[in-house]
Amino acid sequence: MAVEMTMPILVVDDYKTMVRIIKNLLKQIGFENVDEASDGTEAFEMMKKRKYGLVISDWNMEPMTGYELLQKVRADEGVKATPFIMVTAESKTENVIAAKKAGVNNYIVKPFNAGTLKAKMTAVIGDF
Amino acid sequence: MPAAEVAAQIRESLKSVKAADLKDPQLIEVLRLAQQLTDTMQMFFGSLDRSIHDEFISIASYIARTRDEIAQLRPNDIREQRIPIAGAELEAVVTDTEKATEAIMSEAEDLMSAKPDDLATYKAEVDAAMCRIIENCSFQDLSGQRVSKVVTSLKHIENRVARFASTMGVHDADATEEERAEAERQNRLHLNGPAQGGPETKQDDVDSLMAMDQDSIDSLFD
Repeated sequence: MAVEMTMPILVVDDYKTMVRIIKNLLKQIGFENVDEASDGTEAFEMMKKRKYGLVISDWNMEPMTGYELLQKVRADEGVKATPFIMVTAESKTENVIAAKKAGVNNYIVKPFNAGTLKAKMTAVIGDF
Repeated sequence: MPAAEVAAQIRESLKSVKAADLKDPQLIEVLRLAQQLTDTMQMFFGSLDRSIHDEFISIASYIARTRDEIAQLRPNDIREQRIPIAGAELEAVVTDTEKATEAIMSEAEDLMSAKPDDLATYKAEVDAAMCRIIENCSFQDLSGQRVSKVVTSLKHIENRVARFASTMGVHDADATEEERAEAERQNRLHLNGPAQGGPETKQDDVDSLMAMDQDSIDSLFD
């Protein structure tokens, strides 16, 4: 089944510039229905109110990190099935493995480009 | 009254009793023993006074050396000048970088939404936007200079603190409870930050890890 291009996507990052970069890249790919949150706490509250087709989250944020958000999402019956991509400068192997264990669907290391984002999104949500 | 003075007074008293030409042999013997006791006490208190005196001299010299070393550390200069200036420079770097990125992204977004109906107008728009993007890249020069100043200040402080620690033979105290808790949190949440010199695990290797099943990953650590 083809991906609905109007599906809502949640971008979580505490740096406004990075949110803007990701939103621009998503727009270039064809997704314009994008919400933003500045940390895990805000993101989780938003996820409880709106059903998102994909979450793209940074790792290192305060007060709730992206890793904690991922764990919280996977432990919550209401939102546990939401596809989750980590986009982060945390590039140690232990981070990738921890994220995989916690249930991340894909992992992008910063800096990245539109091609990488599109490829990982396709792998997670299907062709578009 | 100092111990040596007390001993001297006792000795004087004994001398005057002896000089009184006493005939009682037992009293003479007692006085002789008292004399010996006084001499012994004088030697004892004398050595005690000297060791305390030496100890105080040593402490005073250590305090003077510590004061000199702290002065060499120039803590007021560090607290009032170097650290605040370094902080202000770094804040300026963040602000300049943000402003430049904002400007560059706005130019790029405007270009992406520009309509290329009239090629000549479109080319003029692109050229003008590119010039503004290039102009905005000049933030890198300023930021580079600001960061260099911060690095110089940090090296200065590092040298002073290292010299102080080495001269005074300072050993690091254990981490505070708060520091231990923060280190534990960083460790638990895998907050390592960006690696020096680019990603520690390249995207291709990340993809390989993501493609592996959990058992295969676990076996890498057996």
